[in-house]
This record gives sequence, structure tokens and C-alpha cells, in this order.
Amino acid sequence: MPFGLSKRATVWIAGLIVAVNGFFPAVWILLTSLKTETELIRSPITYLPEAATLDNYATAFTAQPILRFMWNSFVVASLSTALCVLVSALAAYALTRLRMPHRNLIMSVLLAVAMFPLISLMVPLFKVMRELGLLNTYLALILPYAVLSMPVCTLVMASFFQDIPPDLEAAAMVDGCSRVGALFRVIIPLSAPGVFTAAILAFVNAWDEFLLALTMMNRVNMRTLSVGITLYQGEFAFPWPLISAALIIAIVPICILIAVFQERVVGGLTQGGVKG
Amino acid sequence: MSEVTLTNVVKAYGATPVIHGIDLAIRSGEFVVFVGPSGCGKSTLLRMIAGLEEISGGQIAIGGTVVNDLPPRARDIAMVFQDYALYPHKTVFENMAFGLRLRKRPDHEIRARVGEAASILQIEHLLQRKPRELSGGQRQRVAMGRAIVRQPKAFLFDEPLSNLDALLRAEMRVEIKKLHQKLGNTIVYVTHDQVEAMTLADRIVVLQSGNLVQYDTPDGIYNRPAAQFVAGFTGSPPMNFLPCRIGEGGRTIHLAGGVDLPVPARRVAECARHVGRDVVFGLRPEHVGVARAGDPSQAAVGGRVMLVEPLGSDTLALVRLGAGDGAGEMTGRFAPDAGLAVGQALPIGLALDHFHLFDKTTGAAIRGADW
Repeated sequence: MPFGLSKRATVWIAGLIVAVNGFFPAVWILLTSLKTETELIRSPITYLPEAATLDNYATAFTAQPILRFMWNSFVVASLSTALCVLVSALAAYALTRLRMPHRNLIMSVLLAVAMFPLISLMVPLFKVMRELGLLNTYLALILPYAVLSMPVCTLVMASFFQDIPPDLEAAAMVDGCSRVGALFRVIIPLSAPGVFTAAILAFVNAWDEFLLALTMMNRVNMRTLSVGITLYQGEFAFPWPLISAALIIAIVPICILIAVFQERVVGGLTQGGVKG
Repeated sequence: MSEVTLTNVVKAYGATPVIHGIDLAIRSGEFVVFVGPSGCGKSTLLRMIAGLEEISGGQIAIGGTVVNDLPPRARDIAMVFQDYALYPHKTVFENMAFGLRLRKRPDHEIRARVGEAASILQIEHLLQRKPRELSGGQRQRVAMGRAIVRQPKAFLFDEPLSNLDALLRAEMRVEIKKLHQKLGNTIVYVTHDQVEAMTLADRIVVLQSGNLVQYDTPDGIYNRPAAQFVAGFTGSPPMNFLPCRIGEGGRTIHLAGGVDLPVPARRVAECARHVGRDVVFGLRPEHVGVARAGDPSQAAVGGRVMLVEPLGSDTLALVRLGAGDGAGEMTGRFAPDAGLAVGQALPIGLALDHFHLFDKTTGAAIRGADW
């Protein structure tokens, strides 16, 4: 062990570094959102707000149509997640259950596609959406978001599907399900942790995405939250406490989502269905 | 009307054939067991009947309807799997009711049918449990219950007892036989265990490398094996095989080690047709014992005990016939009080009315018209 530390201590220190690295920016934004602008630029710097205020939150709701941004983000993220999970589930099923040639090659290509830099897709995607007349519509984001999350979601679900005994599916088909029916009635319920994991990944990706949202939506009432928050800055002014408040508002739905579904993201559901 | 008919059924994975044209007629209400070693194609054949594997050629009919292009759900069959395949996220009741719910049966009917099946299998007290809360034997009962409630034309069992311990397996074997007697449905049952096959089946299908070697009653399989493979696969311990040559006039069988056996009069005519031919001599262990003086049904041969295996009810012993290094060895079944000891010289009695001959190359049984 480095520096003669025990394994337990090493794990704790590594965990602490990761936690601080992850949480510090969020905590700092939270603290900033509770300060006034005057306090923020004062020297020496204050870490905890001297007179915590919620005024920035109230202003965040009035200065820009943040609820509209949130609704747009919710619609785009939810529908792209639903589409992505549906198609990825079918793809993962095909990759794990059907006798198809070049299965490993397909998996590798999927992985390669997931690594494409988004910026290289921007111009072609923009042209396609413009030609289809989809700019400033939800579809302009739903379709690319669903496609962009598909490789990762497919791989995540495929790894869960692989662990479901094929006989369970065969039993469902003999009992009266079609192949697709067996997928949705047996395999997906048993792969719930994998499906929820994939869904959360797709949702968070869509919720956070900025470049495509900025490019495809130029009407204010169609902006998503990630782009909408940039509208709080003026030409010469950066109201950091206000922007921080808007950021905290943007984070809350994601936190709620993960808190609600994290219990589903647990294994052990398949226990007992087959021998052992 | 729940007969199952296979006509020249073929299965190939790419260019590799695994089932080579099986013809089979299973009568309505019959209990037929597919038996054979691992990889012989018995489970593949069952899954083809179920519709879980596509067939590459031929025709499968269930209850008079050709089902080649029908999905499993439309074939009106129920299947019990080796690993139970219970839905882990559903209770026992819901596992059993699943097929009926998919067929949109009314709730009162579902409750009645599940209750009846649970009563037959004595699992009423388990209905609200999840599969993970059950023992292996209970899970297998639930799997059978799930099949029973459907009231299908035919039940398919894919090695249902192979995950159970020996005691429970024997118990469940009896349960399955009782179930068949009670319900009277057609059952197709796959196993690699010849005891299960012999005890359960009305007729047995013996498969080897994707070929049907023999389709016969348990008595026929055991006493009139169509091939050396069948004879060696059934019986515990299996039949003894020794290379031999038919002597002049078909009256003598020459075994290795200078042992000559007289052919019983009723089988001389048949043996005479194979004079000088190298064949395989087969005799079951129960037909090898201590020679009894003056017993015309036995041929006495000098032998030596090489190995003794007491089983309690009887004793198995490996004996070397005749003398010299080239002498053949056979396993015999002896009385538990025979007092056998390794190295002991012993007159061995061979019940030659029961010997079998097999072609040395093809393994096919060489039979006369009368045996």
C-alpha cells in the first residue's frame, strides 16, 4: 500500500478525494446562490453567506421563463429517454439472444459510435433538421439525443439481458407470449436495474446537453434549461448568484429522479427463478 | 386427439446437421421418453416440438395439426424446464396463472384452475410465495403446476429432475408417473437417466448423434436392443461386450482367451448364417453368475474373480473368463452371500438363452427371426 496505509485507509482517502472533487463545485454554487452580488465580490472572500438570501431564487423565476425552460428540458429528456430505452432494449435483446453473425463486430461498432465527438455531428445534424423543418421543435432534440445515448444504453442493457436465463424467455413463449411479449413481460422486468440505469444515463445526458440545444433551438420559448441559464448573463454583467440559483434549480429534478429510482437500481431480482 | 407426429425432421446449424431425419409417431395419451447421452439431440428435438427451435426440414404435427410454422404459444403445449424457469418476480400463484392471464381467461376460472393444480401437486400453501423462497423440489412442483393449469394437448419435460438430489428425484419420478395416470395427457419427456426412462415411459426413443436408434417399449429396449449402443446405454451395470467369432455350423461362439460357448439349439440356425464372421457378443450381468451343476440353460466356463462390488441386495463382480492374458472380462450379478473374493477361481455360468450379437462395424443387432 502507498505510504504504508492500510487498504481500508487508502479506500477512504480515495473516496474522499472523489467526493470532494465531485461535491465541491455543487456546494460552492449552492453557497453562491445564497449570497448577494455585493458579498460575492467582497474581499476578503467569504465562504459561508453572512446573510443568506433566497432573493436570487425568486429573481431566477422572474428574470427568465425558467419554468418554460424546465418544461422544455423535461419534455425533450423524457421522450428521448423513452425512445432510447425502447430501441436500445430491442437492440440489446437482438444482440444477446438472436443467432446473428458478426455480433462482436456490431458491439465494437456501437462502442466506437459512442465515442464520436458531438461537435463533428453538429453541422450535418443541423442541415438535416433544417431540411426536415424540425428546427425549434422538440423532435430536433429528441431524435439526436435518443440516438446519441443509444450505444451506451444498448451495451448496459445487453450486459443485464445476458444474465437472464434463456429458459425464462422460452417458458414465457410457451405460456403464450410472442418473442416481443416475452421481452417486455419477463426480460425487461427482470432487468429493471439495467433498464433504470440506462434510462437515468439517457435522461441526464439529455438534460445536461448544451451544444445541440443551442444550435437547434433559437426561439427563447423553445430553449432548454442548459441553454436558458446562459440568458441570465447580460452583455457586460455576470450575475453569478442569480446564475447559481438557476443552476441549483436545474439540478434539483435530476437529484429527485436519481433519489426516486436508485432503489430500483439494485440486483438480486432474478434470484430463485432458476436452480441454485 | 393429442398425438405428436414427426416426419423426417431435420435440424442443421449452418452446414452442420444435428438431427438427421427423425420419424416418430407418439400416440395420444402416451408417455414417451427421449433418452441418450449428452449432445445426442434429445433436447433439441423436444425444443423443435415446442417451437423454440426452428426445424430445417420435415414436418411436425400436434393433434393432427401441422405446427411447423406456428409459434410456441399457438401449439397448445406446456413445457417443464430443467432449471424450472419460474418467473422470479411473480408469486407461485402468478407463475401458474401467467399462461391463463395471457389467454384472457376470467379471474374465477384462473383461481379455480390454479387451485385445482395446486391441490393435485400439494402446493396450496406455497401460492403466495416467490420462487426464491422455495426448495428445489417445490420449485419443480410449481413448474409442473404451471404446465397443468394450461390443460394443453401435450406436456414436454426437458430433464426436469436432473437438478434434484437422488432421493427427491425418485420421489418426483413417482409423482410424475401418478400425474400421467391421473391426467392421461400425452407426455414427451427428455432425460439422460436410463432409470427415469425405463420407469416412466410407455415407449422410449433412444437417440445417438442426432439419429433415432430405437423406438420401443422399455421391455423391448432392454431385452431386444436394436444396437450395441442401446444395449450399452441401458441397464446398470450395462451389458457386457466381448469380441467373438461364430464357429463351424453356427454351433459354437469363440470368445477371446480360448473360451468356446455352445450355441443353444434354437439359435443355431441364425448363427450358422454368420459363420466365420467377427461379431460382438453381448450378455447382461444378471445372466452371468455362479455355474449351477446340471442347469441346461447355462454354459459353464472357468473363471477368476478380478473385482468385487457388494451392493447389499446383490454383489457385482468382474470375472475373467478362461485363462491367459487375452481372456475377456465380464461383470456378473451374484447373490450377496456368494462369498466372492478377489483372485478366487470360480465356475461361471452364462445364461446363453439371453446372449446378443452385434455387427462389429455398424453396431447393429444381428437377430434371427425367433430372437
